[in-house]
Amino acid sequence: METKVLAGALAIRLLAACSPLQDVLQDDQQLASPLTSYARLREGVYLFKHGIDPYSGGVFRQSPILLSLFSTILPLSPALLSPLLWTLCDGIGAWSLSRIWRLRCKSSVTYGSREGLIVISYLLNPYLFLPSLALSTSTFDNTLFLLALHSACLGNLEISLLLLALLTHLSPTSVLLLPPILFLNLAGPSSRLSKPIQFVGYRRAVPLALHYVTYLSSLALISTLVSGGWGWIGRTWGAVLTLPELTPNPGLWWYFFTEMFDYFRPFFLMAFSMHLIIYVAPISIKFQHDPLFATFLLQGIFAIFKSYPTLSDPGLFLSMLSIFPEIYPYLKTPIVTTLLHLHASLLLPLFHRLWLSQGTGNANFFYASTLVFGLANGFAVLDAMWAGLRIAFGAAKEGWEIVQT
Amino acid sequence: MERGIYRALPVIRVFLFILGYSWMLMLPSPQLGRGIYIDENALQPGQVNTYWSWDDVHSADVYLGHLEQLRDQNASSVEKSSFVRSVFSELGIPAATQGYSFKTGTMTLDGINTYGVLSAPRTSGTEAIVIAASWISLTAGPNLRGIATVLSLAAYLKRYSLWAKDIIFIVGDGYMDGMQAWLGAYHGLDQSNLDAEPIKLHSGVIWTALAIDYPGHSFSHLGIFYEGLNGRLPNQDLMNSFHIISTHTGGVPVVVYDHVEEQMDSIISRWLPQLFSRQAYIKEYARRARNVIRHVRYQALGRASGVHGLFHRFRVDAITVFAVPATGPHGFHALGRVIESTLRTMNNLLERLHASFFFYVLTGPGTFLKIGQYLPSAVIVSVAMMFGGLRVWVDAGWVKQQWSSEKVNHGPAGKAPKWKTRRRNVIIPLVVMLATHVVGGITFFVVTNSWFLTRTDKTTYLPIIPLSLIVFSILSALLTSDQPTNSQHDEPSPAPLSSLLKAFNLCLASTVISITSVLNFSLAASLAILLGIPLSVSSPTIGLTSKMAKAMSYFMLLLPIWWTLLATPMSQSIWDWQVWGVWFAPFVCIVYLPLVLQATVVCMLDP
Repeated sequence: METKVLAGALAIRLLAACSPLQDVLQDDQQLASPLTSYARLREGVYLFKHGIDPYSGGVFRQSPILLSLFSTILPLSPALLSPLLWTLCDGIGAWSLSRIWRLRCKSSVTYGSREGLIVISYLLNPYLFLPSLALSTSTFDNTLFLLALHSACLGNLEISLLLLALLTHLSPTSVLLLPPILFLNLAGPSSRLSKPIQFVGYRRAVPLALHYVTYLSSLALISTLVSGGWGWIGRTWGAVLTLPELTPNPGLWWYFFTEMFDYFRPFFLMAFSMHLIIYVAPISIKFQHDPLFATFLLQGIFAIFKSYPTLSDPGLFLSMLSIFPEIYPYLKTPIVTTLLHLHASLLLPLFHRLWLSQGTGNANFFYASTLVFGLANGFAVLDAMWAGLRIAFGAAKEGWEIVQT
Repeated sequence: MERGIYRALPVIRVFLFILGYSWMLMLPSPQLGRGIYIDENALQPGQVNTYWSWDDVHSADVYLGHLEQLRDQNASSVEKSSFVRSVFSELGIPAATQGYSFKTGTMTLDGINTYGVLSAPRTSGTEAIVIAASWISLTAGPNLRGIATVLSLAAYLKRYSLWAKDIIFIVGDGYMDGMQAWLGAYHGLDQSNLDAEPIKLHSGVIWTALAIDYPGHSFSHLGIFYEGLNGRLPNQDLMNSFHIISTHTGGVPVVVYDHVEEQMDSIISRWLPQLFSRQAYIKEYARRARNVIRHVRYQALGRASGVHGLFHRFRVDAITVFAVPATGPHGFHALGRVIESTLRTMNNLLERLHASFFFYVLTGPGTFLKIGQYLPSAVIVSVAMMFGGLRVWVDAGWVKQQWSSEKVNHGPAGKAPKWKTRRRNVIIPLVVMLATHVVGGITFFVVTNSWFLTRTDKTTYLPIIPLSLIVFSILSALLTSDQPTNSQHDEPSPAPLSSLLKAFNLCLASTVISITSVLNFSLAASLAILLGIPLSVSSPTIGLTSKMAKAMSYFMLLLPIWWTLLATPMSQSIWDWQVWGVWFAPFVCIVYLPLVLQATVVCMLDP
């Protein structure tokens, strides 16, 4: 059943990739940020193949790992092979998501037909579908994330940490996902949201972090060898921290920094990055009984507050919601979240077009729509967080009400 | 507090509906709105001395004589364009022609445009100003004097070396089709049903354009036509500078469209008793209302009100100057002065017009409404609909569970019935909504098919209505029989399909109205008026006759579709879609029709 659904959804994807829709979407700034754009990837590979250091200019911001992959093994042809590769990656991501679901509920109820639903929610989610059509490398980020989670659920520590290190090379914000993934390795994926227990693996987890650091540094060494210098660190990881490019994207950072004086820039860059870091410890500790849920929530939070998000980051959060059906009865405002997402997903392309191609609007229009989008994602994360905590209390008793003080 | 809001919600909704609709009615009132002003300081309208003289009027008269000869001979496009081209060549202005042919499903339109490019004498012509006139006026008569103005302007402007931009003179064939072909070819935009020759003489980027429409003998007022395709409006600075120049330099009063005030006053005094018709407030309200209604008629259908409307797609601000026919005092002299001064103003621009407003409602020639004064009216109505949808959604999640008979005997007055939550299956309503959109897509495909368009007898399609009623009743019977029967004991039966479908319908309609209000306010306001109350009061009924009656009343909402898409032999909206790319026709089929169908399905279901 699941394989049939997977095959069907992949076929729909491939059909869409053959349509002229792909040419229209490739340059869209909401689907691909400067860190994930396919056009920049091709530019970098071209420069690399002709012996010019791609990191000496300001265009190419992908990791040297992608550079080496696409200049040697994998070809870059936007007509046929690249859409095939991207669809394959999405298929692997959907497969690993359904396997995570299987591992999560192996001890309780049978998994049944939900697997088909999970695969569809990943492959046909417009937030993931459209960036994949636009050949944004955020598809690879999502696939690596899901594969890392899958290995962590299986308990394969080394593989999950290696995949996480690889993911950190492509998307540096993922280094903050190390604690919950370590705990996931040690605690297992089964759903303990309704029956919280204390986590006793902190002492064991700390030395394991060194494994991750080893993998990260060896990949960094390999990248340096590939790109022939240390310049790639400033251009890729440094871009996330110092925000050199203010290309509009669905995130919240770019508008802020367009209207900022240079004097205040370092302070606000530090404040925005600190803001991402402060969420890791509280959520990992509060949801220590279910680290998979903690990873899920953190991924949602990073999707909102990352420096260069695309639509695929909140899309991954929404698709992962499908593997936590136990929280659905406890979601407080699902329809409000849905309506906010509906409005935001219609307003984002409308105001982007009104500003940049029609010329009758200005940047404030688009920024307002990114604010609505951030609000929609915030509602989704908060709702999921509330439901995850609320489920531990069970059904409300006669005449009693559960409130948050 | 939540319980208070829940109980007060129907009152809040009624209040919001009243507020939204009365705001829409108050849009033309004299209290709302402010005077126009120039926002781009570079324009400096009305500050130049004009040198257009009676000699130039005489040359215009001579050209007019030739053009009238061509009209009397029933000259063909080739002869007309060769005459215009010869005029440009005699003046020493490089000129060329462009042939084109539009082939839609039912008819073919072809013609030949003629254009001349006056290069900027002392600078590089990186930008351009366009002066256009088409052979057919918007009153459907010949626009001979407009073309004569363009030709004599060409002769006059060539003598001066102060132009910083290239000036392109275009005499387009037909009414708007010639300009569409020229603009598409100039900007490299291909259209599948258009076969146009390439442009031989290229100039700079066009920033502003003026179209001249002068059908009558003389004129008393100059009218501004400004709507573009798909509800797009030009930057207000262009119209405002034209207004100031015409009033002060030209001495010609400016009106919106061809709405001369004296006509309106006579209409009011005929229809209203003397007590009201003499009030200045009523008079002003009526004049503004006339302007607003005509504006809505153009903008809601996405139609351009003149040749200028085709320019807006390319970020060119353009208006049509219409000389309102009268036995009145003005002629070529006033028009030439005004156009010359406007061109001098447009010449001053160092960057595209961006400072003034793109979103406005022009209530009078000198007054307008800013976006904050008209947009909330449609949004408030959509918020009221959204509240209705959310209320139905919340209500669908609870069911009153009656006590079973043995327990009623306890207690003196009987206990209050308990509320239990019940499941809401969202998949089925979503599938139904998707099906209605697919029906809308199929309708659009059928209606734009050339087989359908070639059949002129559209009244034979009236039987669709009873047929679809039968289909709907079968569908609703099937859908209601699918729901599982009530098992009284522990699990209450899931929420009824009609409630969920109504909730989703209202929320979707509200979203559509809010989103379109920024794109095309008149369309959003029309949707708010047509859909606001009917969708909010849709409810499931029992009994076949009442179901049919309700469905028929909802089909009344589809009358606008009938009128715009099926009424005339070659429906104007479908023509607009095929030739100018106006998205009103697909919007009506793929968005409006499904919304009405969903409300109809809600009525056909059992509660």
